[in-house]
Amino acid sequence: MLTFLTSAIEFGVIFLFGCVGEILTEKSGHLNLGIPGIMCMGAAGGCLGVKLCYLASPAPSAFLVVLMGILFAMLFAAALGAVYGFLTVSLRSNQNVTGLACTIFGVGFTSFFLNNAVLSEGVSTQLSQAGLHFFNHPLPGADSLGWFGTLFLDHGILVYLAIVIAVIAAVVLRYTKAGLSLRAVGESPATADAVGINVTGYKYTAILLGAAIAGLGGLCYVMDYMGGIVGSTVDQTIQGIGWLCIALVIFAMWKPAFAILGSIVFGALYILSSYIQGISFEQIPLLNIVPFAVTILVLIATSIVGHREMQPPASLGLSYFREDR
Amino acid sequence: MKNTKEPFIHITRREGLPLWKGLLIRAAAVLIALILSDIVISAAAPRSQGFFGFFGALFSGAFGTERRIWLLFQNTFLLLGVAVALVVAFKMKFWNLGGNGQILMGCLACAICLKYLGGKLPDPLVWLIMLVTSLAAGALWAVIPAIFKAFFNTNESLFTLMMNYIAMYLVAFFISFWYPGGTGAMPPLTEGVLPPLGEGQMGKSLLPVLLFAVVTAAIYLYLRFSKHGYEVALIGDSKNTARYAGINVRKVIIRTLLLSGALCGLVGFVLTGSINRMVSTTMDGNMGFTGIMVAWMGNLDPLIMAGIAFFINFLTRGMAQVCTEFGFTSEALSDTVIGLVYFFFIGCEFFIRYRVHFAGRQKKQPGEETPASPEDGGQEQAPLPEDAGAKEAN
Repeated sequence: MLTFLTSAIEFGVIFLFGCVGEILTEKSGHLNLGIPGIMCMGAAGGCLGVKLCYLASPAPSAFLVVLMGILFAMLFAAALGAVYGFLTVSLRSNQNVTGLACTIFGVGFTSFFLNNAVLSEGVSTQLSQAGLHFFNHPLPGADSLGWFGTLFLDHGILVYLAIVIAVIAAVVLRYTKAGLSLRAVGESPATADAVGINVTGYKYTAILLGAAIAGLGGLCYVMDYMGGIVGSTVDQTIQGIGWLCIALVIFAMWKPAFAILGSIVFGALYILSSYIQGISFEQIPLLNIVPFAVTILVLIATSIVGHREMQPPASLGLSYFREDR
Repeated sequence: MKNTKEPFIHITRREGLPLWKGLLIRAAAVLIALILSDIVISAAAPRSQGFFGFFGALFSGAFGTERRIWLLFQNTFLLLGVAVALVVAFKMKFWNLGGNGQILMGCLACAICLKYLGGKLPDPLVWLIMLVTSLAAGALWAVIPAIFKAFFNTNESLFTLMMNYIAMYLVAFFISFWYPGGTGAMPPLTEGVLPPLGEGQMGKSLLPVLLFAVVTAAIYLYLRFSKHGYEVALIGDSKNTARYAGINVRKVIIRTLLLSGALCGLVGFVLTGSINRMVSTTMDGNMGFTGIMVAWMGNLDPLIMAGIAFFINFLTRGMAQVCTEFGFTSEALSDTVIGLVYFFFIGCEFFIRYRVHFAGRQKKQPGEETPASPEDGGQEQAPLPEDAGAKEAN
């Protein structure tokens, strides 16, 4: 039970990164269906960053490896986010179509890039060393504090980073002027424009930041959860996680703080099949359905309840052209 | 009028661009995407064949042998079938992102029939049952989200996306149920499958080509000339207008998605019943997503969509050849290049819908620009003046 909860937290933060990233993006009025591709880009960039460290020196410091992984994951993800932003903000393209194109590109690019540019001889052992020993390094006291240590201290740095980012995002959105402006842009860009808010600037910032944060989710899956083992279907797995992240935004009612709890619930559902005793090999695919089925139930439930607090930003999905008025 | 500083870029809406200009802009965008891919790939490839070797490989991969040409046409018409199925829903502004799942359910239903009925009943009867169950399974997978959309306005794009994964794991379950301890792959079945219509690859490819040519034409007529088609278009324009005109919106949403899903199921029927004779979790070939791009890029017009479906399959098959010749181990390169083509195609749409004026020049821009490096776009935005007098720049 304890290991199950610990794993649920570890898997949940992958959702948390993606979900918080998507919340930020949606708050600016942009529904980014490219999140699965962007998370993949994060995984690809993170692996490249780790590989570069090992190219520079055979035994790099843990701090450098983790930093480079995070940096490159955010960079790669933000690059694809920038493409999405440029197309949807500046060129006012359809957001759904652009997002899907980003996902197709990102998933394809990651699969190609990992196989052809990152994974060469010896790199997989380097990656798994980085994953197991550097990214998964527990906090002090993890062993000595019993169940508390195992549950809360025995995680890699990315787990804490995810929660810190979610809390910061929640505070910024709720209590700061920038957060208020961003919400205004998402609710009614024309009104925001009229009071002098830089609509384009806020949209770009939210999309780029959101993409960078979501990219960490991909990094987190490869380096933290998988311990640096890059399987051949990693792009497909992250794609599935990415769609769940987008759905999770609805579950969290566009609030990063709620996303923390929701992510852990989804993390538990996702890893359920590996922890239930006495199921046969054939039944595993049926258990894999659970998170997706639960998502559907959540979608239905929120649409039936239809509470005022649960609504998406009013201009979500619409492009803004000042001269259209 | 205190503000005399004129913004560098000024954008206005553009109406009635001549067709040929629009086509020229799109062709230029796609060409730039391909040349860009060519340069990067030629530079990075382990066994580069040079700048023109890229295009040579592209064409030989798509048209090199008679078999390849038939495969190209087969895949084009399969993709066109999916795209047309999705258009039915798009006309109503219903984002059916569940094409993959609906195709897979069609495949699965067909495979179940083959597995349990093949060889036990006369073949034509098996074919009929296969056809009906495939259509029903695809329709079921689309109508579940449609019902909730119609009654509770549930978000259909996420709902259909989740249905994709449920379908995928159901397929995985049936495969591991039928072949326990296996590799997760299913051997082709022999009994009850649809016979080829002729010799060689042509015989196998003829069925999808003919079938989906007919389906596309029929759906075009249905949407353009039938009362149903009119209702669908009206709901797409405005649900309230449609309701006011006395249309039962819920009924039409459900009916339309039954059709959309059934058409995807039909693609699954052809994939499993005739082409592959088995089912796998990736048999949809991501056509549900590609079909959306085809439908959107083709402006929901079946003829343009056919051209785009052809071009995307040309790229897919051509890029496979490029991968082999240039010495890449992963075929995912084709998705990367196609993704790049999508970006440029989506971006160039801007230059068709809007006109860009640069400060100090009165000449109209013929829209030759394609999106420059996206990062530039992001950087340019921040320091723009915020004066209310300044026109929104780019």
